[in-house]
Amino acid sequence: MRSQIVRIVVVSLMLLASHPSAAGEAQTNSLADETSGASAQGASTPGPQQAASSESRWQLGIALGYGLRTNPLVQSDDIPIIVDIDISWFGDHLFFDNGDLGLTFVDNEYVTTSLVGRINSDRVFFGRTNTKFVSVDLAGQPLSSTFEVSIPDRDYAGELGFELLADGRWGQLQLSAHHDVSGTHNGYDVEFDYGYGWRNQRFYVEPSFGLSFKNEDLNNYYWGVDADETNAALPEYTAGSGVNAFARLQFSYQISRNWSFSFVGEVERLNDEAAGSPIVEEQNIFGYFAGFGYRFR
Amino acid sequence: MRRLVILLLILLPAISNADGEMQLKVRPVLCIIDQRTPHCQMSFLVLWQSVETGYYCLYNDFGQAPLRCWTEQRSGKLSDERTVNREFSYWMAGDDNQSPLAMVVVEVLRMDSNDRRRKRRSRHVWDIL
Repeated sequence: MRSQIVRIVVVSLMLLASHPSAAGEAQTNSLADETSGASAQGASTPGPQQAASSESRWQLGIALGYGLRTNPLVQSDDIPIIVDIDISWFGDHLFFDNGDLGLTFVDNEYVTTSLVGRINSDRVFFGRTNTKFVSVDLAGQPLSSTFEVSIPDRDYAGELGFELLADGRWGQLQLSAHHDVSGTHNGYDVEFDYGYGWRNQRFYVEPSFGLSFKNEDLNNYYWGVDADETNAALPEYTAGSGVNAFARLQFSYQISRNWSFSFVGEVERLNDEAAGSPIVEEQNIFGYFAGFGYRFR
Repeated sequence: MRRLVILLLILLPAISNADGEMQLKVRPVLCIIDQRTPHCQMSFLVLWQSVETGYYCLYNDFGQAPLRCWTEQRSGKLSDERTVNREFSYWMAGDDNQSPLAMVVVEVLRMDSNDRRRKRRSRHVWDIL
């Protein structure tokens, strides 16, 4: 029943998106507003309208540097970051953005709303875990004998949801809600993200923060421990719903038309239900990356 | 070594006709605009040097008249206050005023987009591009 509803919604949105007036008119209005506001000392200025029309649908870039993301799981390794590759394509309605697939059905001067399919990112921590033989449990209590402890494996989940983007002089806002459509965790999450950027020519600073609500099904799938995964060292655990919070600070310096240097630092606080799991060691996840980026223009 | 590479990347576009008779340098050669700052209001420092003393004039794309001319000079400089939102050029010409002896292009780079989807955030620390 649920999959039928999802199918109907998807087909309806595709039909809506295929109507040229839905997004096209709004785009034209937006461009016209900007052109009328543009002025410059000097000769004929093409203005943003020409700049916008010449913008490639492709967005390609690569960054090389060094960074790290800590892994909150016990018996796990942090995640090193050496390369960042950006491959995106933005059509009038359809888009591909580094693994996310989207269908834009509203685009006006206030908001852009899309249907988005993506892969859940919580799985990333479970790819770098180790098996250990322990004589104390995860709480530090001695055990009667030695036990093998492995962090239970978790699968990637394919999710489908809606995303709303808005921006202005007040900053950038992103609201999204995604539901599992792959039958992996059968849960959903709702995310809020706000950022504000300052630019002074080549320098750019952007702090941002956000919240992410994860329902019980999602939270328990990734952070819970099922009865068949337990042993004397790894007790059963059921996680309820919770809200993750994160903050991020990005600094970048534009070296030339194509090259930039960037540093970004991020901290994410896992919700208490996830942090209380016996497989979780750290409630805060820290990340940073510094490197040189090249954007194809 | 990395500093040297960065320095070269910055300076190379700013030096025109370095091996020829006329050298023209402009600083800065990159202006960055976005939605909040749709124009660059900058002071461009223009420096020129020639191997021969003579009559030279500095032009740009914003007018047919020269910004300034120098008589019996082999070097000169000018500070040009300007508000721009598109790429333009400075060039030096001699008596004939026909062929540029040296030219430098000032690039204007728009860093944001009218398409909000290009500002989507993926919550990954490595997402810096």
